[in-house]
Amino acid sequence: MSIISKDRDSNTKQWMKSLFETYEASLNGQKDHPIAAFRKTAFDQLMTEEFPTRKDEDWKYTNVSPIVREAYKFGTSKDFSQEQFNQFLFDGLDAVVIAIVNGVLDTNLSNMDSMPDGLTMLTVEDALQDDILAGRIHNLIDQKGGTAKNVFLRMNRAFAQHGFVIVSDKNAVVEKPIHFVHINTGSDETYFSHPQMFMIGSKSSEFSVIESYHSTNNDAKYFTNAANYIDVEDNAHVHHYRLQFESKNAYQITNSVAIQGRDSIYSNYGVDLGGKIVRNNISTEHMGPGVNTYYYGAYLGLDDQHIDNSTFIDHAVPHCESNEVYKGILSDKARGVFNGKVLVRQDAQKTNAYQQNASLVLSNNAIMDAKPQLEIYADDVKCSHGATIGQLDDESVFYLKSRGLSDEGAKNLLQKAFIGDVILNFRYEPIIEKVLSMVDAKLSKK
Amino acid sequence: MLDIKDLKVTIEGKTILNGINLHVKKGEVHAIMGPNGSGKSTLANVLAGRDEYEVESGTVSFDGKDLLDLDVDERSHAGMFLAFQYPVEIPGVTNATFLKSAINAGREAREEEALKPVEILKLIKSKAAMLDIDPSFLKRSLNEGFSGGEKKRNEMLQMAVLEPKLGILDETDSGLDIDALKVVAESVNALRSPDRSFVVVTHYQRLLDHIVPDFVHVLYNGRIVKSGDKSLALELEEKGYDWIKEEVNAVSA
Repeated sequence: MSIISKDRDSNTKQWMKSLFETYEASLNGQKDHPIAAFRKTAFDQLMTEEFPTRKDEDWKYTNVSPIVREAYKFGTSKDFSQEQFNQFLFDGLDAVVIAIVNGVLDTNLSNMDSMPDGLTMLTVEDALQDDILAGRIHNLIDQKGGTAKNVFLRMNRAFAQHGFVIVSDKNAVVEKPIHFVHINTGSDETYFSHPQMFMIGSKSSEFSVIESYHSTNNDAKYFTNAANYIDVEDNAHVHHYRLQFESKNAYQITNSVAIQGRDSIYSNYGVDLGGKIVRNNISTEHMGPGVNTYYYGAYLGLDDQHIDNSTFIDHAVPHCESNEVYKGILSDKARGVFNGKVLVRQDAQKTNAYQQNASLVLSNNAIMDAKPQLEIYADDVKCSHGATIGQLDDESVFYLKSRGLSDEGAKNLLQKAFIGDVILNFRYEPIIEKVLSMVDAKLSKK
Repeated sequence: MLDIKDLKVTIEGKTILNGINLHVKKGEVHAIMGPNGSGKSTLANVLAGRDEYEVESGTVSFDGKDLLDLDVDERSHAGMFLAFQYPVEIPGVTNATFLKSAINAGREAREEEALKPVEILKLIKSKAAMLDIDPSFLKRSLNEGFSGGEKKRNEMLQMAVLEPKLGILDETDSGLDIDALKVVAESVNALRSPDRSFVVVTHYQRLLDHIVPDFVHVLYNGRIVKSGDKSLALELEEKGYDWIKEEVNAVSA
């Protein structure tokens, strides 16, 4: 029994070791650069760990062995013309664009020089050479992180080829978002990529970051292991969008760890349309009073997709508010999971914590597992959670049909409305339109 | 336009409509009144196509077609419109989106060319103006947070936009104050034409002061027991339904 579990991950660790050694061999003169130690520390820790199985409570509903079993290589870039690349952008959105193809940064397609005033972006490599930023980075890495802190974060820090740090100036309110466009083409060799972001919202500033994931080949198989660390200082507001349109055979795991200073706001907007196995962990800890945390999630699972959203909010101090709205549509044999943990600590009086998870399960073989988990230790709080799993309202279908819509037309409209409800919170018209049209396209193909 | 012959309808074994006979010609407005439980709403719902009701026997011919053979959406394409008593709220679907889908669904079914978004918007706005409805309401979700009066006005707007051959109003006036009621009546009157018919199901005579009917029928125990012109409505207002019930019971005694 113990022999088997010790060797359980040995194959995985084997290829990870040789891959890391290849990277180290390529370092040459860079061996003393802080990034080398940064990656090595993560790698060493990774080697001592085990990957989660279904026996682990937090991973009960999501089996990651298919993901872990593969022996990945690093991806290699592919050429895109500007025209081909533009189809992945959002019409009408003026953003700083960073293009990453198969995990490799493409500076030609990016326009990193167009950073708006009040916002600075640098690579993690460069940031680590600055004492203050390095300190902020390590502080974020050391956070508790709830369920978002796991072995995949270490894997990300060991293997990430490009990490970015985005810092705002104090008091800067920046309208223009930073848009990371991740494109995957797939290849003969299964590859993985590790998007990595550190966001630091300085006092009283506000800015938005978008990570969108696209695929040019719907059969492509690859693994995206993303890590985001977010430090929202007092009275700052960070908007974080994750829009996932990966191939139907792709694996995606995202871990986002956030800490919030007093009176700050962290808004996380997530959409999942693609992916074969998708797991999103978001964790936020309140460090000061008056904090607001918003998580919005929408997902549409068809065929045999598996989409898991696991969230954690730590109301560690009084007078904070959180609001989670997750809505999903599942059909065919798809499986959705929502695990929403909220911890309200003993001192966190006057907490307002709301959680809503609604899913439409449209076929006999689709499954939704919803597990709201509220742990409340304070006695003067307002907490509510609602989990509904159901079908479309017959009355609504009848009403629409009585106005001439076909059965299919009525149902599509209602499904789009169901998910659209969440998307309407996404603030930028171009993002809302793009997401709604992607949802529409996927619903029509059904 | 609408020809109902000996229609018998049950629900869960209980007979609600017990042989309805009704003939509505083009351009006519027929009012259907009756005490509670007489089957008024059932008639409207059966015509709309709700499948909870069993049609035991009888025929319904609409514009030459066998209505009972048509699916719910097909009835709309054929030119029938039912203004619901309790319109459902559908959050997330805007009034504009809904109307656009409805217009083009009908046009497609009738093999007419789909209207371009610009044309649709123009059509909707002109009808909204005609009904004195603020265009901003088009961006709101369908019936969400609407007052009773606003919901009924929305039904009228849909009817105006879809331009049906037959409009059935199912107790559209219930729960409305006199001002909202006038607006509803004005909408119907604005749509009256020699090619369009209306069946107005109502419990109260008050609406018929404003939508003057050509014929008034009294529904009781699932049958139309009396028909007349608009003066019948006034008689019912004065005397109530008891005298009709007595008449019917005397006949069957």
